[in-house]
Amino acid sequence: MIKFEAVIYKYDMKDEAALKDVSIQIDRGSYVGIIGPNGCGKTTLIKHLNGLLLPSTGNVLVDGLNTKDTGKVREIRQRVGMIFQNPDNQIVGMSVEEDVAFGPGNLGMPPAEIRYRVQKALALVGMEAYNKRPPHTLSGGEKQLVAIAGVLAMNPLYIALDEPTSFLDPSGQKKVLDVIRKLNGRGITMIHITHNMDEIVHADQIIVMKEGKILLVGKPKTVLTKFEWLNELGLGPPKITELMWRFRRMGSNVRYDILTADEACEEITALIEREGFRP
Amino acid sequence: MVYLGQYVAEDSIIHSLDPRVKIASVVGLSLVVLQGNIFTQLIISAFLIAMIHTARVNLAQIFKTLRPMVFFLGLLFLLHLFFTDGRAIPPFPLWHVTITFEGLFQGALISWRFALLLLAASFLTMTTAPSDLVNGIERILRPLKIIRLPSHDVAIMISIALRFLPTFLIEIERIKEAQMARGSNFKTGSLLQRTMAFRALVLPLIFNTLRRADELAMAMEGRAYKRGPRTTMNELRMSRIDYMALVVIILLIGSQLIQGHLMAGT
Repeated sequence: MIKFEAVIYKYDMKDEAALKDVSIQIDRGSYVGIIGPNGCGKTTLIKHLNGLLLPSTGNVLVDGLNTKDTGKVREIRQRVGMIFQNPDNQIVGMSVEEDVAFGPGNLGMPPAEIRYRVQKALALVGMEAYNKRPPHTLSGGEKQLVAIAGVLAMNPLYIALDEPTSFLDPSGQKKVLDVIRKLNGRGITMIHITHNMDEIVHADQIIVMKEGKILLVGKPKTVLTKFEWLNELGLGPPKITELMWRFRRMGSNVRYDILTADEACEEITALIEREGFRP
Repeated sequence: MVYLGQYVAEDSIIHSLDPRVKIASVVGLSLVVLQGNIFTQLIISAFLIAMIHTARVNLAQIFKTLRPMVFFLGLLFLLHLFFTDGRAIPPFPLWHVTITFEGLFQGALISWRFALLLLAASFLTMTTAPSDLVNGIERILRPLKIIRLPSHDVAIMISIALRFLPTFLIEIERIKEAQMARGSNFKTGSLLQRTMAFRALVLPLIFNTLRRADELAMAMEGRAYKRGPRTTMNELRMSRIDYMALVVIILLIGSQLIQGHLMAGT
């Protein structure tokens, strides 16, 4: 469990705080989506998870370990992996396998253990065939998968992702999202920042931020269907929700608290059964 | 993209040798060649060609790595050709220009010597994976910690530089295209104009590089990087073949030192 206790963060003492009294709790194994307009403090928040930034006041506790405790930095960073936007700027190694070996190497693991972990991590993201490739020969999506493998090789309990798909093409986005969901299914907690609401419709919890404050925490069903409210924040709702909302405005009796295509199909079929087909 | 002297994976004894042995050999033999006479140069050249053959590296491919240096080698040759005293080759001297037999010999010897050094270095990078090379350098530098040289940090620096080299080449190309689309002209105009146009290339590159460095540092820290010792997936270990190779190289160097000494005596 990661706990934020009344965290205030200022980049500069003179500046306005980037995080204003943030208290949240992230449960082990859950999938948490974080949304909010640009400059709302999402990235600042996420960098607190593994002590890349330390609270100006308040505390961040990772399974009870305080990120301010300098003796625990390695342990915290082993527990909480971090994936950034630009896959190019987080790959250190001259080849795929060497990059994945970077984290375990920093933890001082013996070579045999590193090789085992590298192989296992690459298999988990489906990149085992690329192990000798130099990073610049990979596509954006592949690079991001390598970055995820690099974090996995440290056996993390949590992975924080800062807009992991925003630099990728659609096929790369899909691959990365599939891997993230698969890993969450294996019990790794995901904390996922995104601008694309469709990516987090299955999340356990959505956190909405604005101007350094938490506006709302709730289930996707309750948060993502607040159509007008999300639009006001400049955060379009999921495509399907918008479609259903437009049907509604056209005079249909359809529900629009709907997030996925499957749900939409069910609802439309149900509607036709209820009211008959009126073209 | 293939660069000159780029590593090509191949299954040969040379490829599988410990990088430390290969680095030490190239450095050692290069020093011997720099010190040596024509016989040393002949023997080391023959040895290098034999090694290239053993490693199944394409001879044409390795000679291609000399291409960017052709101007330099030619200049070296010409300097010696024109400025060495000795017996003039007829029909010289013409007007004030003289070329001599000694100059011809010296020029050929010296440019061949530098070509040999370059070929040996290319041979090293073509038969050793960059990561092994960095590992090898790190291990060789490790004793220098007594003079407070942090070999692990040097290794990380080299490997990041090598990792980002292709990325930068791609980026330069992209900036160039972007600036050309905005009307920059890098190809024509006076030297001054072209130099000024170059700023449009260099400034964005520096700016991007700094931002990259910032993000990379963040990512490295996030993966528990700290300065100082760390482990790698392949610790280097000397095998019997490595020791044998080392003995061969030491014998070769030793024989050439003795040979040079004897020749100097006569």
